[in-house]
Amino acid sequence: MNRFAFLTLYRSLTRHRLYAALNIGGLAVGIAVFLVLGLYVRFETSYETWLPHHDQVYIVQTVVNMPDSPVNGAYPNTMGGLLEEMKADFPGLTGTRINGVGATVLRGGIGTAEDLAWVDAQFFEVMDLPMVQGDGARALADPSNVLIDANMARKYFGSTDAIGQTLTLNIGAGTAPYRVAGIFAPLPRNTDLKFTMLTRIPNGAPKGNEDWWYHWSSTSVNTYLRFPNPAAAKAFAARMPAFVVRHGATDLGADADKMMQLTLLPLTDLHLTPAGRDMASMRQTIITLGVVGALTMLIAIVNYVNLATARAGLRAREVAMRKVLGASRSMLVRQFTGEAILTTALAALVALALAELGLPLVNAAAGLALSIPYATVVPALLVLSIVVGIGAGLYPAVLLSRFPAAAVLASARSPGGGRTGARLREMLVVFQFALATAFITGTLVLVAQTRHLRQADLGFARDGLIVVKSMAGLSEGQQGTMREAIASLPIIRAVGIADSAAGGFGNNNDNNIEIPGRPGYGPSLREIVVGRGFFATYGARVIAGRVFDNQHGADDSYGTKSKDNRAIVINRTAVGVLGFRSAQEAVGKTLGKGHPRTIIGVVDDMRFFSPHVPMEATYYTYWSHDVGAPVLTARYAGRMDAAMDAVRDTWRKIAPEVPFDAAPANQELAKLFEDDDHAANLFTIGSVLAVLIGCIGLWGLASFNTSRRVKEIGIRKALGASSRDVVKLLVGQFLRPVLIANVIAWPLAWVAMRQWLAGFSDRIALSPLYFVAATLLALAIAVLTVIAQSLRAARATPAWALHHE
Amino acid sequence: MIRLENIQRRYVSDEVETTALADIDLDVAAGEFVAIMGPSGCGKSTLLNTLGTVDRPTAGRYLFGDRDLVALNEAELARFRAMTLGFVFQSFNLIDELTIAENVELGLIYRKDAGGDRKGRVAAAMDRVGISHRARHYPHQLSGGQQQRAAIARAIVGKPKLILADEPTGNLDSENGQQVMDILTSLNADGATIIMVTHSPSHADIARRRIDMLDGRIVASLARAI
Ligand SMILES: Nc1ncnc2c1ncn2[C@@H]1O[C@H](COP(=O)(O)OP(=O)(O)O)[C@@H](O)[C@H]1O
Ligand SMILES: [Mg+2]
Repeated sequence: MNRFAFLTLYRSLTRHRLYAALNIGGLAVGIAVFLVLGLYVRFETSYETWLPHHDQVYIVQTVVNMPDSPVNGAYPNTMGGLLEEMKADFPGLTGTRINGVGATVLRGGIGTAEDLAWVDAQFFEVMDLPMVQGDGARALADPSNVLIDANMARKYFGSTDAIGQTLTLNIGAGTAPYRVAGIFAPLPRNTDLKFTMLTRIPNGAPKGNEDWWYHWSSTSVNTYLRFPNPAAAKAFAARMPAFVVRHGATDLGADADKMMQLTLLPLTDLHLTPAGRDMASMRQTIITLGVVGALTMLIAIVNYVNLATARAGLRAREVAMRKVLGASRSMLVRQFTGEAILTTALAALVALALAELGLPLVNAAAGLALSIPYATVVPALLVLSIVVGIGAGLYPAVLLSRFPAAAVLASARSPGGGRTGARLREMLVVFQFALATAFITGTLVLVAQTRHLRQADLGFARDGLIVVKSMAGLSEGQQGTMREAIASLPIIRAVGIADSAAGGFGNNNDNNIEIPGRPGYGPSLREIVVGRGFFATYGARVIAGRVFDNQHGADDSYGTKSKDNRAIVINRTAVGVLGFRSAQEAVGKTLGKGHPRTIIGVVDDMRFFSPHVPMEATYYTYWSHDVGAPVLTARYAGRMDAAMDAVRDTWRKIAPEVPFDAAPANQELAKLFEDDDHAANLFTIGSVLAVLIGCIGLWGLASFNTSRRVKEIGIRKALGASSRDVVKLLVGQFLRPVLIANVIAWPLAWVAMRQWLAGFSDRIALSPLYFVAATLLALAIAVLTVIAQSLRAARATPAWALHHE
Repeated sequence: MIRLENIQRRYVSDEVETTALADIDLDVAAGEFVAIMGPSGCGKSTLLNTLGTVDRPTAGRYLFGDRDLVALNEAELARFRAMTLGFVFQSFNLIDELTIAENVELGLIYRKDAGGDRKGRVAAAMDRVGISHRARHYPHQLSGGQQQRAAIARAIVGKPKLILADEPTGNLDSENGQQVMDILTSLNADGATIIMVTHSPSHADIARRRIDMLDGRIVASLARAI
């Protein structure tokens, strides 16, 4: 490129300011979207990669495969004592358990809940956490030591210089002093590990866990193993079935290896692997968003090529003159490619600025903390500029340099790439609008589904409920006192206790219920133990029979044995699962052979758990007091914060040493689809920008076409065409490609959205209305984009147009 | 049929003001054949465009029959052009993407009464100028003379009362130019009013009246004795 080449580029950018702004702006927005979504994908796929030798670490998965069980699936948890049994059989195995038990830090009689995890002495051989102070492995050697992260050190001791200090902790079994022996760096955001404190896991079953710590098919801790290479891991995995039979036969029966498998999942795959019954694939969401980013950039590049090619025709005269003056074809190709690279680099620079400005917004919308790693992004953008520049510049450059100079100079009319050029441009418009319409459809469905998740009937009124999760930390005596005290608050209308609550806490118990006259164990149902006031507090809808009350003494299962007859209430789903034709038919029936259960009533399904998990057949039993793993739910009337304050004050008065943990039910429920919400936000941002870029492309093309047809418009007007005729002509030429685009977009969007919705058990129907609405929207956007300049062209006096070259 | 009174046309661009037409008065009767001559830039095209209502005068009155065209709005002017006028340009101005037959048909599609037998009328118009055998070709496949004859076919297919021709022979050799003049003469003999800009004195002589322009004014108007 010579000085004049720069000069022409500079002049053409400043002369055609709007064109340049749209061309560079469109490309920049496309690159920015790609950049931001790329960062997101990078973040989501980088989980645990910050750990040293993360590629050697595996998590043990428990694959449950029981007959008729709704809990079948692969879970990243294992039995508490599994590692000990493994080590006994496989000497030299390197592994650690992580058991996020939590702890209460006591200071001046006031308890604060912290995320403490129990780990094995070998923890640092598996997860070599970066240390700020002290030696991690040495610190774990003594069970009375605690390791805390730098934030905790600052919180409790004012600085990270806290080695040797003492923390009074209650880890579920009374308070004891622990010596701070190591400070580790706070965990980064790209991790599923969740702890701020570490202590040694007790040898043998911890107090209170004796029943199930060594019970096969229980899942209570995470077990991690480290192998020197994948082959070693594979060999180990191959020996698991025999191991399961050896140790699990007592609990699982002779075919233990069929009921349950132990598999190894690479640690770095954990984040994107759905657990158990979860129907949604996070991996698919991330791929989708990555594709949205790539396609948005592709649209922008297509636009750029499109406009550059279209404009090439308008520059034909300049090219012809240069040729006449002696420029060779290769010189011209070099000039135009150079221009394109320079323009793309400019766009990349603007993109970087846009991404920097847009990131806080995106972070807020998606609950992220992304930042631009300039060291990798800048060289990547440079390469991108060159590749896109060559890609976008070469075609028009070759096209331009090929125009025969003499013909161009002799003819009155500028070549526009001819018929093939026009066809190509139309195809590109089709491509763009197909994607744009598919994106719009996707956004509509996404927004409708997330709205549905927020508002759908869950079988109970989700507003006006507070869930107090910290009840289990109270002594049994305190629990009753707390319940009465909260119930007597004027702002509280009703209080119920159960081992589950909206948002999904407490116990996870499934039991098989044998059906008389049918072979086998019978279907597996979730069991929820409820205390007084549970159904009234949630406002459960009773479909048949009645719910528990204290008038019927037989309702109370407290203190009964499993083989005693217990009164149960079942939910609507259970009616069908248990083989009844109607709820009425179920009432009064007694099921279960060795464990008789009599159905006294049926309530409507109440969705406490993730919308990604199918609604479970459930039965409720009633304990008049001392429900295990209790969660208290309170219904209030009035303002949420006032109710929360009142409950908190009551709590602090009765049990100041136990950390108070409560949240509004709708907030807990929203957490269950937080990730979907964030992905939906990102998708929406991406789509809106993709559509915007599509509009820029259409606008540019329309303006090019209009300017190319100025003369024709003049002729038509001289022949008596009215302005309306001309507008119809100009707008009409874009409707055809936009309509064809819709035909392509519909099946695309249908398949994609059906797939996405399949990840939800609680989902909307994929109505054709979304598609029709997206089409109308796309058409409206297309018409609005081209109408202004069509009107302007149509209104211009024909004399001017006829003069126009 | 046509009366121009005190017609002015000024162009203002980049603070440079050009007076293309300064105070033009002109009467043209039905059936006349008028030739306009004058040096380049004197306002001939502007005058013709004004007559054709594709350009609006800055001041003055334009009466066509008893209608004041200056008072009409855009849509009404478009209808007026479609029903009453035929244009022939120096550079033909055929639409490249349409065939010759389609270009000619363009002269009808904006006429509300064009309904019946469009194909027949298009064929007749092409026949009249002798380009029927080129109906399915595209403009760039034709010679200049043929293109100009196609443009004339487009101008006459709607049987306009007034034909405006801006240097119709300007881009043609003498033989093709003569052919075009013969067609115009015969159209005039059939009753069409024709106003034509030309640089050729011999072509101007074919017209019955010659108007000379200079610097946006009419400096002479000579009727040829028959
Ligand atoms: N669109 C326009 N803008 C500015 N000036 C114009 C325009 N069209 C014509 N003119 C000027 O008006 C004058 C008359 O032009 P025109 O009627 O085309 O001349 P002619 O046809 O006699 O050669 C010229 O000086 C020309 O430069
Ligand atoms: Mg002229």
